[in-house]
Amino acid sequence: MKYITIDLDKCVSCSNCEYACAFAQTEDFARKDSNIRVNYYPETVTSITMTCMHCTDAWCMEVCPANAISKDEATGAVVIDQDQCAGCKMCIMVCPFGNIHFNPTKLVSQKCDLCGGDPNCVKFCISGALQFEEAEELFDSKRTKLDGKLNQLILEGKIKIKGGE
Amino acid sequence: MGNERKQIKSLCRMCDDHCGINVYVDEQGQVVNIDGSNHYWNRGRLCVKGRAGVDFVNHPDRILKPLKKIDGKFVEIELEQALDEIAKKMSEITEKHGARANSIWKGEAVGFAQEEELARRFIHAIGSPNYFSNDSQCFVGRWIGYSLVAGSWMAQPDFENSRCIVLWGANPPSAHPNMTQYIMNAKEKGAKIIAIDSRLSNIARQADIFAQIRPGTDGALALGIIKILIEEKIYNQHFVEHYTTGFDKLKDYVQKFSKEFVCQETGISEDILNDIVKAIHFGKSQVVNYVGNGLEHHENGINNIRAVACIDALIASFDQKGGNFMPEGFGPSELTLYHEKPLTELEPIGADKFPVLYEYRKECHTMTAMDTIITEKPYALKSMIIIGANPVLTNPNTNKVIEALSKLELLVVRELFMTETAELADYILPAASYLERSELHYHGMHQVATLTNRIQTIEGVQDEYMFLHDLAHRLGAGEYFPWENEDRLNEWLVEPSGVTIETLKAHPEGYQYKPLQYKKWEAKEARGEKPFNTRTGKVELFSQYLEDMGYDGLPVYHSPDFIANPDSEYPYTMITGARKMIYYHSRNKNFKRFLTAVPRAELELHPYDAKNLGIADGDLVRVTSQIGSVEVHAVIKHEREIMPGIIQFTHGWKEANVNLITHDDKFDPIDGFPLMKAVKVKIEKI
Ligand code: SF4
Ligand code: SF4
Ligand code: SF4
Repeated sequence: MKYITIDLDKCVSCSNCEYACAFAQTEDFARKDSNIRVNYYPETVTSITMTCMHCTDAWCMEVCPANAISKDEATGAVVIDQDQCAGCKMCIMVCPFGNIHFNPTKLVSQKCDLCGGDPNCVKFCISGALQFEEAEELFDSKRTKLDGKLNQLILEGKIKIKGGE
Repeated sequence: MGNERKQIKSLCRMCDDHCGINVYVDEQGQVVNIDGSNHYWNRGRLCVKGRAGVDFVNHPDRILKPLKKIDGKFVEIELEQALDEIAKKMSEITEKHGARANSIWKGEAVGFAQEEELARRFIHAIGSPNYFSNDSQCFVGRWIGYSLVAGSWMAQPDFENSRCIVLWGANPPSAHPNMTQYIMNAKEKGAKIIAIDSRLSNIARQADIFAQIRPGTDGALALGIIKILIEEKIYNQHFVEHYTTGFDKLKDYVQKFSKEFVCQETGISEDILNDIVKAIHFGKSQVVNYVGNGLEHHENGINNIRAVACIDALIASFDQKGGNFMPEGFGPSELTLYHEKPLTELEPIGADKFPVLYEYRKECHTMTAMDTIITEKPYALKSMIIIGANPVLTNPNTNKVIEALSKLELLVVRELFMTETAELADYILPAASYLERSELHYHGMHQVATLTNRIQTIEGVQDEYMFLHDLAHRLGAGEYFPWENEDRLNEWLVEPSGVTIETLKAHPEGYQYKPLQYKKWEAKEARGEKPFNTRTGKVELFSQYLEDMGYDGLPVYHSPDFIANPDSEYPYTMITGARKMIYYHSRNKNFKRFLTAVPRAELELHPYDAKNLGIADGDLVRVTSQIGSVEVHAVIKHEREIMPGIIQFTHGWKEANVNLITHDDKFDPIDGFPLMKAVKVKIEKI
């Protein structure tokens, strides 16, 4: 199963992902229509990008009284069937991350569906902060990142390794 | 989707980065979607304006028929008639005033570098040296600054293998989106990222060090860094001794750039200055100093850029892996006529005032062109063909630009959409978009060549080649345009390179024409060649050439005017030209969805200034310089994001055109770039 991963050390809060997602939903560039959102906090100079995690035991799925939320077998995405959604907003209330929002035009809840397995947000993320990765291979990119950090600390003399030189 | 879609690969030209794209075309031949191809450059990713190329090519407002202005109104005419009439008028002008009274101007809207060379070829072919472009106020300042020192400019350095990336007045996420990937990959591998900017830009948000600097003072910082590098012996002595000239002169000169002076002048703290030096030291030769447009548009721009290049010289980062890599060219046939028909005796406009600009770039000076048209001095300039440019919004001093262009006897504008410049034209010709032509393009960072694909053709819409071909043939210069169409031209272009069109077609995601080689200066020296492409063959910390021309031989620092001569009437300093990712200078403002994202021009200011001026977020304010006023909506930034006393005004909006208040007569004496990033202004709430 592939997941969208977010590296907060790379995100430059350019909003390309939000525009790309909004476009996929409504063919317009209104950030409010996006299922992914980029929050930038100038006080701490931090960018935080958030989208649905497609939880294994998704609370939204459990709580939905209309049975409109299901797991897509092929992509693993937790998806809302907009024809079935009653617009009761229960899922919005229960999602711990605020990753579901209400579509005021269609009067239904709206969330990420992984674009059917080819996420637009990732394709338009120009920093590489967003990746679409196999869960099983995730450790690999994490290791590479950690290696980079360790290497830098060693080079800067902040940590010393015994043995070798 | 029911409808069969075909995928064709090409390059995006919604900005100058030329990312690889997959263009999806439906059964009717309509372009329906665009996403990123796995081209060397962008690796599958695009910025959203690349996707919106669909809007660009299919837009209902596209100009698809030639228009002629009759009694102040545009009327559709046939292409042949338009070409005949334009040629006739140009011939009359030539007869009366000489061929040099005709000129051409290349913009950024339609094509690739090939389009520029074709424009240059055409104007020389018909006997005039007057080629203009947006380059007399963008890009070329960096090119010349670096070329004076090291013989070339590295527009695409080796970010990814770098250990220290210093971004001087550059914000790649907005200006060169896919460069961000490279910079962040380097960061992931442990490189230090340093952003030097007056604004806390997107890239500064991910920088290890953010040096918030007063506009135009980068030279003082660079010279201060050099002083420390020399004092602390953090420089490559071998390289300096063998490959540079002028070290002792530079060493003497930088003595004045004490930490105290540098910090006071630039607004940067001593800690940050020390951290920058430490990061450069950590990088050794794997340092990229990348200069953005933020250092151009200043009266001391070239010397500030030269000072930065001198840092590269001291640490020997030129042409290093992870440093300022100097790519080798593809080696195509020469399309321009500067050897065959240089025409310098005809006094290219601006070449006398800015000889360095002309000698290094063969670029006439657009600001001088406006004066020439109005005053007819030193000679008459009567016709201009403008291709995909909108100087009414993008050149400084808009009112003068309008006056000048209106005074021309013949103004031809080739465009995709109606623009403020096109409105002044006598003829508007429909221009082909980047999906309606086939051109060669090179990405230096990877030494790859790509041939773009003609994805659609529109009846009656010519590409640049066919237009210039048809006009040249009508003007008796057909011998210079012997190729039947652009495909034949492309075959001729690749001939000397040894790479065939078939090979390029087989590699639509880029063909690497030469493997990358680093430190070519060593190999060149061993072969007895000049290691660097400068006059002396060495990296020139001091330039005898400049000194002989009456300029400073050293990269001398002069304080910007707002510091040297503060003016209580105009107490604020205005920067303009910081791009919004979604727009490309003045372009794309006619796309509805782009306006949803960024609906209007903005004046960014510090909360302290806003409070003093009684301005609330979103208020309409009036900004006034010595030459005029404009009204614009204020955006109050967080106190970390912009410096007090400094404002930033987005360019390219007709509704709030900042160039109504920028100067065309204050410039860098070496390259003639106008002062647009440290303009003295006052601000009032309306
Ligand atoms: S995967 Fe698609 S729907 Fe989900 S956030 Fe990304 S663009 Fe939006
Ligand atoms: S596109 Fe990427 S870098 Fe830009 S805001 Fe989204 S996650 Fe961040
Ligand atoms: S950066 Fe964006 S606009 Fe520029 S070439 Fe790439 S996709 Fe196109």
